[in-house]
Amino acid sequence: MSHEEINQNIASIEENRSSRRSAILMGGAALAGLALGRTAFAQSATVTDADILNFALNLEYLEAQFYTIATTGMTLDQAGIATKGGDGTAGGAVTVKPNAKVAFTTPLLQKFAAEVAMDEQNHVKFLQSQLATAAVAQPPIDLMNSFNALAQAAGLGPSFDPFASETNFLLGAYIFEDVGVTAYQGAAGLISNKTYLDKAIGIHNVEAYHAASIRTRIFQAGSAVQIASQMIAAARAHLSGATPNDDIGVGVISGAATIVDNDDNGMTFARSTSQVLNIVYGGGPAGTGGAFYPKAMNGNIK
Amino acid sequence: MSKLEEILEKRRVSRRRFLNVAGTSAGAVAVMTLVEGCSDSGSTTTTTPTTPTTPTTPTTPTLTDADVLNFALNLEYLEAEFYLRAVTGSGLSSTDAGSGAGAVTGGTQVGFKTPAIQQYAQEIANDELAHVRFLRKALGSAAVNRPSIDLTNSFNAAAMAAGIGATFNPFADENSFIVGAFVFEDVGVTAYHGAAGLLTDKKNLAAAAGILATEAYHAGEIRTLLTQLDVPHITYANQISALRGKAGGGAETTLSASSIVAADTSSISYSRTTDQVLHIVYLNPTAGVVKSGGFFPNGLNGTITASAS
Repeated sequence: MSHEEINQNIASIEENRSSRRSAILMGGAALAGLALGRTAFAQSATVTDADILNFALNLEYLEAQFYTIATTGMTLDQAGIATKGGDGTAGGAVTVKPNAKVAFTTPLLQKFAAEVAMDEQNHVKFLQSQLATAAVAQPPIDLMNSFNALAQAAGLGPSFDPFASETNFLLGAYIFEDVGVTAYQGAAGLISNKTYLDKAIGIHNVEAYHAASIRTRIFQAGSAVQIASQMIAAARAHLSGATPNDDIGVGVISGAATIVDNDDNGMTFARSTSQVLNIVYGGGPAGTGGAFYPKAMNGNIK
Repeated sequence: MSKLEEILEKRRVSRRRFLNVAGTSAGAVAVMTLVEGCSDSGSTTTTTPTTPTTPTTPTTPTLTDADVLNFALNLEYLEAEFYLRAVTGSGLSSTDAGSGAGAVTGGTQVGFKTPAIQQYAQEIANDELAHVRFLRKALGSAAVNRPSIDLTNSFNAAAMAAGIGATFNPFADENSFIVGAFVFEDVGVTAYHGAAGLLTDKKNLAAAAGILATEAYHAGEIRTLLTQLDVPHITYANQISALRGKAGGGAETTLSASSIVAADTSSISYSRTTDQVLHIVYLNPTAGVVKSGGFFPNGLNGTITASAS
């Protein structure tokens, strides 16, 4: 059977998928009062593998900072992980509240958080090493105003401190992880080099392991936390600008848990770089940024 | 235009859920995009090499995408049978297994006591069934039927080889079920990771990536749950992990509360060749040609059925 025949079949199947989100959407009321808009914009048509890897590196800087600060109270630079670019450009500042180390009380969660911090640091180091002199420096990152803005967007309240408690930490982590999965899946479709593609898929998987573990723990945290996750999923979906979207929060549909953020074909979905930027910028304009990246990302995709 | 209409017609006929008007019109746009994408293979930015090199499987350079997707379909049959039987007591329908499908030995409904675990199991069963259906539809008439599957002797043999004991019944109770699920999930991740490198078509790769990440979600979930269970279960899991590593070229991370993710020292997930996966599912670590055994007593169906080394 030819690729074209398989393609045609897949195209047909994908049109049949319906979003599980519609069955679990708890954030409808919140969306009506959404504080942030979303900005659709066209992505440059010609991107190199280095552009894609640098886009991923920007995301990994964000994740690594979040988990490193949450588990140690230190930024990457303070922890000995360089954030400067391959050309020596200094990394941007991190905006975060003082003494942000989370007061973990559950050893299983604390250990897992430390594991994720290590993974994200490894991803930063791996991408930096692959990109060598082409690696971008860390852009300015905001882990304070960003969460407040997204909390408002999701209808969770005027402010949100992901470092305030274990539960808040879970929800803060949740905001990133599924987005990371969709971003890498989208990136995989843009990468030409087979070796880079293999590595990107490998990181994609690791982000999915993270996302699953976090979502499982949110499931176990009870209905209030589950509902918060559903409101965040709705906000992510709205911000991304994708239609239809498949972003679902954690809960139960027809007797089945929704640990996996996927569609009715049992497949996770991809987000374009533009859709990812829409989310992490909190709807801020391309090239200008906002939310987690107040000065936009570094590199050609921003 | 007739091709588009044909696809739209198929979509209407086989739609499983009601879609609202807005969703339908958006869907039509998406179909057009996909159709255009199929004919536009000359993109300058995402050119796929016509003869991609795949250093991990030098012995099988002539595999088609259909061969690789059928290999995946065999694994999905196994997972679907395991989870569906655990949750409902029944396996795939004859429609989903294909005409002339092989027999399935064992697999009974688990007496779940914890609603959450039953809900986890139901979700994974839904996903694996969806994967079977997706791959069968994607492959069309080229899809292989379900091969013979053994869910009784296989687990006993695995338990013996892993040093767990003479027998192991993953359907005995909900905690045993989680250990049984562990046997498959990380393997699925490594198998799809390896398969992704064999696919030549970007669209097929995208589909595989979507299934692959779902398997990684499952694996992350199962591994998280195991760390929350009593010690014997995580010990069993790690004995299974060691067995998988022995048969499948390493590629395992010992499970603990501080190592939920199965990945290498760069925090990148492992990849396995089809040979390594075959050695695992046939429960035969002996190097050389292995054609059947373990979970597939009569071997896989399709082109990729025997290990080359």
